[in-house]
Amino acid sequence: MADAAPVTPTGERAQISVRGLDFYYGSNKALKNINLDFGEKRVTALIGPSGCGKSTLLRVINRMYSLYPDQRATGEVLMDGQNLIDEKVDPTDLRARIGMVFQKPTPFPMSIAENISFGVKLHERLNRAEMEARVEWSLRKAAIWDEVKDRLNSSALGLSGGQQQRLCIARTIAVKPQVLLFDEPTSALDPISTAKVEELIAELRADFTIAIVTHSMQQAARCSDQTAFLYLGEVIEVGSTSQVFTAPREQRTKDYVTGRFG
Amino acid sequence: MSERAPTSGRSTQGALAERGFAGVVLGSGVIVLLLLGAIIVMLAIGSAPAFREFGPGFFTSFVWDSVNEVYGAGIMIWGTLVTSLLALLLAVPLATGCAYFLTELLPDSLRKPIGTLVSLLAAIPSIIYGMWGFFVLAPLLSAFFLAVSDRFVDSPAIYNFLIGISGTSIFTAGLVLAVMVLPLITALFVEILGATPVVLKESVYGLGATRWEVIRNVAIPYGRRAMVGAVMLGLGRALGETMAVTFVIGNATRWSPSIFNQGSTIASTIANEFAEAGFGSMKLAALLALGLTLFIISFGVLAAARALVSPRQG
Repeated sequence: MADAAPVTPTGERAQISVRGLDFYYGSNKALKNINLDFGEKRVTALIGPSGCGKSTLLRVINRMYSLYPDQRATGEVLMDGQNLIDEKVDPTDLRARIGMVFQKPTPFPMSIAENISFGVKLHERLNRAEMEARVEWSLRKAAIWDEVKDRLNSSALGLSGGQQQRLCIARTIAVKPQVLLFDEPTSALDPISTAKVEELIAELRADFTIAIVTHSMQQAARCSDQTAFLYLGEVIEVGSTSQVFTAPREQRTKDYVTGRFG
Repeated sequence: MSERAPTSGRSTQGALAERGFAGVVLGSGVIVLLLLGAIIVMLAIGSAPAFREFGPGFFTSFVWDSVNEVYGAGIMIWGTLVTSLLALLLAVPLATGCAYFLTELLPDSLRKPIGTLVSLLAAIPSIIYGMWGFFVLAPLLSAFFLAVSDRFVDSPAIYNFLIGISGTSIFTAGLVLAVMVLPLITALFVEILGATPVVLKESVYGLGATRWEVIRNVAIPYGRRAMVGAVMLGLGRALGETMAVTFVIGNATRWSPSIFNQGSTIASTIANEFAEAGFGSMKLAALLALGLTLFIISFGVLAAARALVSPRQG
């Protein structure tokens, strides 16, 4: 594959290119020779049964694994020509460029506005007006502004689960990353909140490159452009979402998407 | 305790054993409480003559004069509080760093052995710390201050201050106590930091926070109450420490406001002077009154610690 301009199977310019990635929990190899491109301003869904390594892959991309001394990765995760898993790349800087939203909403025990400004303050010095503007901007982007604009100074813990998760998305967006990683963002939410988050992901695609790990094949089908099926630490198949779900090339993919296992 | 009839499915023997067991457990609980009460009563009775003689002024008087039989606990209360606070001041930052190192930075395989080594510090008998303090630390400190004083020959005030510093002092006692409470506080901090929810920590890391920012903004605020409790437990230990302090504090019963001078704590004074206190003497009463004072201080600190460490809501 040409190094100069990696493209996804669906022909888009890749924002992040994973090349020959191996990952280990201690001596246990959890990812094996992963090659995958995440199209710029596209949604890539990672699907596969529990333990297939899809969440692990997300945690490699933002180097979350490097917090744990027993975990290590080899290979390349390229973004803007830089290998992100190179020790020389500052992980805090990298995580400002690649935001992450977790399985469970994790609002900080502070006010709604402070939840947003907290992350921004880690990277930028803004005056009061600028910060207020940023808070509003990110809350609007996360489609939660109308629900919280009258209580920005009350505790974020008083929000419903779905609102908390959208607040967490707003908090991540506020840092102005280029890439958003969603690790099963709706697994703790009710169907209505889930629908809202999925809608939101569809809107965010205009501004961000998105990778989403999901257990729900409907979710992958609804909100992604590209889907990668992982199994036992390997990428079995990657292609446009419609192709993977309607005409999978691999038997294992077909068995999974038709619900025969997983 | 209410009488319970043996149920049909159980043998009478089982019910009897059950009741016997309950009795033994109840007895143990009562005995401990009785012991506690007895100690308080004994201290109160024994110290009564001192309180009758000196009144509440006993706690505030900075005179401890064995010759004229005038006793006040001020010097000892001061020494006890200052050495303990000094110990905490030094030990708490170290324990925080050490605990964070143990929980976050060490690979799993090294965590256990190194954690055990830290805990072993707590297993060293206090008399060993006392000897170390007296034979190693105190001479080192006095040599150090002497060497530093050479640089200030031109400014007599500083020079005289430095040269007057003794190896055994309230400061030295604080240092030794710091080493002694370090393992306890570290062990408790390890538990507390380990209890920070991983998802919360990772969300903060996910926003691009550094390790320090995560400790400051998440781990410490989250465990704050429990950490205060842990510090109080360390304080409880430091307040009552006798042997090591007696070795290094100089045991002066003359008042000096400088922590670089010799002083004494409640525990060290009791240990030093108990042998000279005749039965029924005012000195014995004063020493028992000191004991009661220490008891009250420690009790207050531990009660506060329990209140803070107890599981909290949400």
